[in-house]
Amino acid sequence: MSSNEKHQTDGRTGDAHASSPSDPRSGPYILLFFILGLALSMVVGWSIFPKLLYSQKSQPIDFNHKLHLEQVDNGCQSCHFFREDGSFSGSPRLAQCTDCHAELLGESENEKIFVEHYVATDREVPWLVYSRQPDCVFFSHSAHVFGAKMDCETCHGPIGKSESLKPYEENRITGLSRDIWGRNIAGFKQNTWDRMKMDDCAQCHAQHDTLHDSSVQTGRDACFVCHK
Amino acid sequence: MKQTQTQTQHRPKRYGMAIDVDKCTGCGSCMVACFSENNVPFKQDETDKLLSITWLRVYKISNNEKFPNTEVAFIPRPCQHCAGQHEGHSPCVSVCPATATDYSVETGIVSQIYTRCFGCRYCMAACPYHARYFNWWDPVWPAGMEKSLSPNVSPRMRGVVEKCSFCFHRYQQARDKAYAEGRREIREEEYQTACTQACPAGAIVFGDLNNPEHLVHQIVKPDIEHHYRSHNPRAFRLLERLGTNTKVYYLSSRDWVRKSGDNYLPGEPVGLQGKADTHG
Amino acid sequence: MKLSRRCFLAFSIGGAAGTALSPLPWKLTDDLSIWSQNWPWTPVPPDGEYAYINTTCTLCPGHCGIRVRKVDERAVKIEGQESSGMNPGGICLLGLSGLQLLYGPTRIQAPLKRVGERGENRWQTISWEEAIEEVAGRLNDLRSKGQPQAVAALASEDTGTVPQLMKRLLTAVGSPNFYRMPSMEDSQAAVLALTQGEEGFVGMDVEQADFVLSFGSALLEGYGASPRMMQAVNRLRADGGKLAQIDSRLSNTAAKSDIWLAPKPGTEADVALSIAHVLITRNRYDHGFVSQWAEGFEAFSAMVAEKYAPEKIADRTGLATDQIISTAIAFADAKHPLAVYGKGKGQQPGSLKEALAVNALNALAGSINRPGGIQAMAGYDYIQWPALQPDDVAAAGLQTPRLDQKGDVVYPNPGYKVHRMIEAVGAGSADLQALLVAESNPCYSLPGADKVRTAFSKIPFVVSFSSFMDETAMQSDLILPNPIYLERYEDVPVKAGTTRRRVGLCRPVVAPLHNTQHVGDTIIQIAHAMEGSVAAAFPWTDYATCLKETLSDAWETLLEKGHWEVPETTHAAGADGFKTASGKFVLMNETIGAIYLADAPLPAGDESEYPLQLVAYDTIRLSSQYVGSSPFMLKILSDTTLKGQAGFVELNPETAAKLNLKEGASATITTPAGSADVRVHLDEGIRPGIVAMARGLGHTAYDGFLAGKGVNVNQLIAPVEDPASGLDAAWGSWAKLAKG
Repeated sequence: MSSNEKHQTDGRTGDAHASSPSDPRSGPYILLFFILGLALSMVVGWSIFPKLLYSQKSQPIDFNHKLHLEQVDNGCQSCHFFREDGSFSGSPRLAQCTDCHAELLGESENEKIFVEHYVATDREVPWLVYSRQPDCVFFSHSAHVFGAKMDCETCHGPIGKSESLKPYEENRITGLSRDIWGRNIAGFKQNTWDRMKMDDCAQCHAQHDTLHDSSVQTGRDACFVCHK
Repeated sequence: MKQTQTQTQHRPKRYGMAIDVDKCTGCGSCMVACFSENNVPFKQDETDKLLSITWLRVYKISNNEKFPNTEVAFIPRPCQHCAGQHEGHSPCVSVCPATATDYSVETGIVSQIYTRCFGCRYCMAACPYHARYFNWWDPVWPAGMEKSLSPNVSPRMRGVVEKCSFCFHRYQQARDKAYAEGRREIREEEYQTACTQACPAGAIVFGDLNNPEHLVHQIVKPDIEHHYRSHNPRAFRLLERLGTNTKVYYLSSRDWVRKSGDNYLPGEPVGLQGKADTHG
Repeated sequence: MKLSRRCFLAFSIGGAAGTALSPLPWKLTDDLSIWSQNWPWTPVPPDGEYAYINTTCTLCPGHCGIRVRKVDERAVKIEGQESSGMNPGGICLLGLSGLQLLYGPTRIQAPLKRVGERGENRWQTISWEEAIEEVAGRLNDLRSKGQPQAVAALASEDTGTVPQLMKRLLTAVGSPNFYRMPSMEDSQAAVLALTQGEEGFVGMDVEQADFVLSFGSALLEGYGASPRMMQAVNRLRADGGKLAQIDSRLSNTAAKSDIWLAPKPGTEADVALSIAHVLITRNRYDHGFVSQWAEGFEAFSAMVAEKYAPEKIADRTGLATDQIISTAIAFADAKHPLAVYGKGKGQQPGSLKEALAVNALNALAGSINRPGGIQAMAGYDYIQWPALQPDDVAAAGLQTPRLDQKGDVVYPNPGYKVHRMIEAVGAGSADLQALLVAESNPCYSLPGADKVRTAFSKIPFVVSFSSFMDETAMQSDLILPNPIYLERYEDVPVKAGTTRRRVGLCRPVVAPLHNTQHVGDTIIQIAHAMEGSVAAAFPWTDYATCLKETLSDAWETLLEKGHWEVPETTHAAGADGFKTASGKFVLMNETIGAIYLADAPLPAGDESEYPLQLVAYDTIRLSSQYVGSSPFMLKILSDTTLKGQAGFVELNPETAAKLNLKEGASATITTPAGSADVRVHLDEGIRPGIVAMARGLGHTAYDGFLAGKGVNVNQLIAPVEDPASGLDAAWGSWAKLAKG
């Protein structure tokens, strides 16, 4: 470092004085570099990181929820039904689809692939489930749908109105869908269905006055309600 | 608002067990039923019992008399689901720094959330019953054997503590069914633990200690005012005088068996006389 | 512009600030914590549709009804059937661990042909066609050489379509040498035939008895159907009844008994007859039954009066006189007393004299064919196949005597004396060219297991139908694996002391996991490949057809309910008279008298050299027959039975003190049959002078969960032929124990 730098530094505030000596003209540069660092890391954190964090996967075949919903009598539960024991079936199995699609019904390319690749060979479709939770989570559809009379949209959003399946974005670290954390990388949400994390469950329970106080540890819902 | 009312109106449950030691044959079927129900792992060598994970363990006790006056009895020991002296003051729950183990006032069940546990094992040190087990290794199922794993219970990983949950997933399943049928309450027979169901000797009775219609209540006759101690003269609890207020009751007509449930001084009468009420 | 250190710092600080203001660190922390809680190598069992399938457990002769919980195509749990009529709910630990057998690592996955030496465990996978051809060719060779009798078969049961198909194959080939693994069924059948003239099996009405006197039967440890027996005994005691257990060791059954007598092992017949003495001399027997229905009461009374007064046998049995008298009186005081025999789980035939003596107590109490007593159950006769038309070769072969027949015993009943067949083959005195083994493991589970293996080495062609790589499969030339009971259809007639004749159905719960074939199909295919009269004896295309045709009308019931209550044919009830020549229950006649005169079968050896008695005991926590113990069963085994690889013997501290052995000490146990290294566990609950060892350890085959752990007690015990029946009555051996 030159003596000039030192001189310049001496004329500055005590705050800067504590820093190491620098070029007399480096003041704006320091700020520039600070902003540069700030900006770059913000770009990385807000834009590049989410792209790196999630890998894009497409569903094995595309599916038109809207079209199907128009054809069935019982809404979502026509295909995503409850079994007699109160358990929820989740995404439909092949057998269910073949009830209608044993043969080609329409002219869609996707249906053709479905019939040829899956129905004909009796293979299950490896659907990627946007709402799949980690294994430690127990979620009772029965309690929410029958008990609390909630509709599917509250948690799953207007998926029934979609005409095509969005890409499945898989978190490279957790292996879970992006929909659990939410589209917004900061975790901000606008709709009830934007995120599906534990806090979102708790938030909804608090809002609807269904918060229990059964937990001795937390004064809230006991752990053995949503965990297994 | 409506929901809150129904919640406050309904009586909290207190699931518990009555094990008839005079009926228990020591066969160990309860243990195997438990392993099979709860995805409990197994290793090639399980003879070091300190390292062997057995949520439920059948202990053999003896009156220590010489042949031929020797008598033995078997004490199946699941997690005792202690309530402590004030509701939920279980030895393990109160020491957990991770909120990984919890006491539900709703069911009286002490839970263990494996994903929350970071393996400090304070709870194991605190448990007077050795009912908690630590996973020193990742569980390994020989190729193909993972097929028999149940989806209702999460397999545990290395570094966490696990224990008997009173087959809580069966409670969840029973509730699912009840909701689907438009009920809020589940029936006695709808929620039974795997060990109760399997016991070939019919020695275990499980149910809600607060519900006079449940068999377990009728057998135990709990004194709700006095830490649920039993009015049944055949009943005893393990280390009852510690004040753990457990939910697993044992029944025996044999004096020495009842006496073995706690530490007594020579000549001291069996039972809760005296200091137990003031303890804790 | 020069990049100064300050600029770099500023850039870094800016970067840090920006990072903190971006979601990156927070999101990353969250994701990493989720990852750390859900390590990808921790299995996540897939969820799916739940279903329950009712079927029948075949892992022990109890044949309980079970239900299997499935998640989609996976079987995830076995539970007992509630109120199925098969059993009263509950299930034993062996039944519970069936899925570990199904999915376990010892399953044989395809037909195998031996390529290495016997027992070397080197195999080559072959096709089913090749395997069938090979067996058919071998059997046809024997027939063309005029030696059809040189083929034998060994099965675990002799009722039901599969054992009967096997027997039929042998008959069609021309061999009388079909054997069932020995069990107490042999003694029971002999007792029924001798005393009641009945061909069938023994039912025990423990449900209605109010006093059960058990001569070493492990009623609470796997004797009969465990849930049934346990609940019956608990019911009995809850109703104020009593259980008396005669056992030299405080077994779990003895631990639950109200009266425990621990005589010297091998003296049970003496104890029974002296109890009879008390009943008779004190006039506490059922006069009604005895006067109306018993034959030979006077002779019987005279015999017990002469030899079996309690004080006379006190020394021999090691019991005090008043113990015997009070037990006898308790027995007589009961309204429905029941005496049962068959030691342990009843997997050994035992002494016929003992069986008769115990049964005589039932007769004296009138507990024959009445509620709470012993019931003569007619055998199962639903298998009605057209008679065989043996050709000349077969007819000649069938005329030859069975390999186990010597005819030198008091009562040469038609039981299966497998040990004699093994002895004859081992000694080279029997010509056995081919042996078919199904659902049994003689190289492990017969007394003198080492000698069985030697005998096997002398049989040129051994075929195993085992589903598992067990000791016997290891000694075979060809393994034609059978699917296990959760993958196949089969009729399962229940005996095991039941008082209701029932046939259970085992049915496929999951699709076969491996390239296995039902042993019924294999037999039919072998027969068809042999052509001629053998093929003609099997008019079915496959086993499924055979099963459906055989059961005819009952098939639908079986499919629907999972079991079929067989209608009662004429019952040998007391009121109709017995099927003996005199129409009475034979308490004593010439044959029975001769049996009572015979000495109790004692193991070989000299008490001076071998001062201790080794007793093999059954525990419900170990399986000791065809099916190996599961990993779950080994997991719950006490660490005083097995520690690491070391097996334990139990002995009384008094005995241990004499031998200078402390708890956990290593020792060597030696018997005339062999020796083994063990550790000792001291227990007050065992008669001094006795060393007890559990059956079911010391496997050399199977997997790392079971192999190489503990000692196979059958290596230390030699068969002991019962002078009365010729059956193997081994219960133990003389032994010595030394610090090792």
